Amino acid sequence: MTDATAVSGDGLNFVQRIRRDYSPLVIAMVGLFLFVFLAGAVLTDDFLTWFNVKTIIRDAALVGIMAIGLTFVTLSGNFFLLSMKEIAALSIICFATLMGAEWNQWGPAEGDPATLALMTTFLVAIAATLIIATVAGALQGALIGLGGNPIVVTLGAAGLFFGIGSWWSDNLVVSYRRPHGAEWLGTGSFVGDIPNITVAFIIIAVVAELTLRYTTFGRQVYLVGANRAAGRATGHENFGMAIKCCIIASLCAAFVAVAFSGQVSSAHVNYFSSEFGSSGDMTIMVIAIVMVGGNSIMGGYGSTLRTSLGAIFISSIDNMMVLNGFNSGARVLAVGLMIVFSIIVFALVRRGSRAVE
Amino acid sequence: MERIKHLVTDNPDLSFAILLAVGVFTFFAITEPLFFTHRTGFAIMERFAVLGLVGLALTLCIIAGEIDLSIGSNAALAAVITVRFTDDWGAINALLLALAISTTIGAIQGYFIAYLRIRAIVLTVGTLMLLRGVALFAAEEKTVMLTDFRIPDFITTKMLVYFSPASILVIAMFIVVGLFMTFTRYGREIYAIGGARKEALASGISLQRPMIIVFAISGFCAGLGGVIIGLRSGTAQALGLQYLLLAGTVAAFIGGVSILGGKGGVIGAAIGTLTVNFLNTGLVFNVTPAFMVQLYLGILLLVVIMFQTGSRVFDERQRRSQLLNDVDRRRSILAEKIAELRRPPG
Repeated sequence: MTDATAVSGDGLNFVQRIRRDYSPLVIAMVGLFLFVFLAGAVLTDDFLTWFNVKTIIRDAALVGIMAIGLTFVTLSGNFFLLSMKEIAALSIICFATLMGAEWNQWGPAEGDPATLALMTTFLVAIAATLIIATVAGALQGALIGLGGNPIVVTLGAAGLFFGIGSWWSDNLVVSYRRPHGAEWLGTGSFVGDIPNITVAFIIIAVVAELTLRYTTFGRQVYLVGANRAAGRATGHENFGMAIKCCIIASLCAAFVAVAFSGQVSSAHVNYFSSEFGSSGDMTIMVIAIVMVGGNSIMGGYGSTLRTSLGAIFISSIDNMMVLNGFNSGARVLAVGLMIVFSIIVFALVRRGSRAVE
Repeated sequence: MERIKHLVTDNPDLSFAILLAVGVFTFFAITEPLFFTHRTGFAIMERFAVLGLVGLALTLCIIAGEIDLSIGSNAALAAVITVRFTDDWGAINALLLALAISTTIGAIQGYFIAYLRIRAIVLTVGTLMLLRGVALFAAEEKTVMLTDFRIPDFITTKMLVYFSPASILVIAMFIVVGLFMTFTRYGREIYAIGGARKEALASGISLQRPMIIVFAISGFCAGLGGVIIGLRSGTAQALGLQYLLLAGTVAAFIGGVSILGGKGGVIGAAIGTLTVNFLNTGLVFNVTPAFMVQLYLGILLLVVIMFQTGSRVFDERQRRSQLLNDVDRRRSILAEKIAELRRPPG
């Protein structure tokens, strides 16, 4: 190719560029996705209302935040953590236990819900939760970074964390009284009628995207994920990277746990296994979001923006199916089909473009 | 004596597994008076029937260098199908239908993994959710139940002190798969694509055939496990059986597979499963809640992984330093030779 414009893609319009870069099969699949989505959006009553859009984003927020954390792990080439919901379960138990602990009450709980006493309780509890999550993340990250398979390590860690959480709470529901200092995070709203958890989702998404794009750390994540050998040759070992990314994922899971606990004023280790979303399993839901968003599961390609959009996409499909009266079986099936589709599309793209390892 | 010594040094992983199994068994046999009895033996074999299948399936997958995450969902689907259709069509037909479906699912997974050249974990995490959806669909989001309890009674009949029809079937399955893996070409192909995939592909082994075989066996084992659980308890839930993955993985790793593939075998899988069963059953005697069992299994898996990874890192370091030493030695020899050549004659 001697023509410079052909190489850079100038002189071609949008459609031509897409047709050059992707195979017809991929275009057809993505087109089908969009078609189904748009048809559903138009044909479903009450789907395109401001209230419903808010609901969709709020539903997407909790899983979305977790998925953003997991995206760091995926981008750095460490597949995914199978222990996301167990980290959240351990965190939620820790948070609720400390919120209800006798020694952690710093004044009378009557009156204004935003008093300093309640805030102190909340801050102590959340600090301890984040510390525990950091330790949990660092433990897994170290084992992964040393060369353990991420799937097997986190499978074991999942059993460990779930066991610790159940043992700590005696497998009972831990509840604490309203008013408490986490209400503003769980159910409050500062900006008009937009729930705070939605605002938190947007802030975390923006911060994560900026971190990945414009900081040294973000570029290192991509480097280690895209080419581990090159990363090692330039002094970026996977050891440190895996620890950092796992800590980020664990912190996101812990934050979600705190926000969820703030909504329901209680905690149980099974909150993230049974009562959450349509699937009954939050870990798989989070992985589904990362995949459907279009991140390469082998690492090095993708962004947290894609993850956020994936969360909103899955949440809106779910919402659409609920509005049309589908049962949970059909909804889980739909999400499963979406994951398998996106895996196949990705594999086909990769087969064409990159050398197979 | 010499031969035994050789056996131990030739199979360090297997000897470790046997040692661990005997150790766990002895510990509980001493601390729990009821543990070393015929009845407990029967209970252990009953557990072995299900867990052994899952351990066997995961062992085969890991030998091929992959891991099948959808095993719990596949088992749940098979359980739901069997229990739901047993009343209408009879147990045998329902069972065959469930096994056919789960084996086909496994084979399709294997085909796609080979065709798309992706890692199995990537695809199977998708099918994990997909199959759960299918199972929910098949069960209409309810817990399905048997009305006729003659079949559960038949499956748990005691035979020959320790065995039941289910566990005899599973032991037969172990023997067949073991013979298949050791004595047929297809079995050796599975070891080859696990241990040295690039070399195997370069020497003309197709990736597709072994992958399809491995995942079909894995699907069959998962399905059979689900069928046994479903028929034994008479109920099935679409969202159940997720714990099988952890227990099966622990069993496989205790049995001596390596995550890099190409290592381990059916005997290891059996011993690993027995170890997990001893632990499980022994902890039940101590009135340990189920979540504590999960905690111990998690710790066990982490410890095994830590040992494996540690020994690999250690090996790598040693190999590297040996290589560097070699290079140094050769360089010094070369330098001597050059100096000799440069020396003026005489």
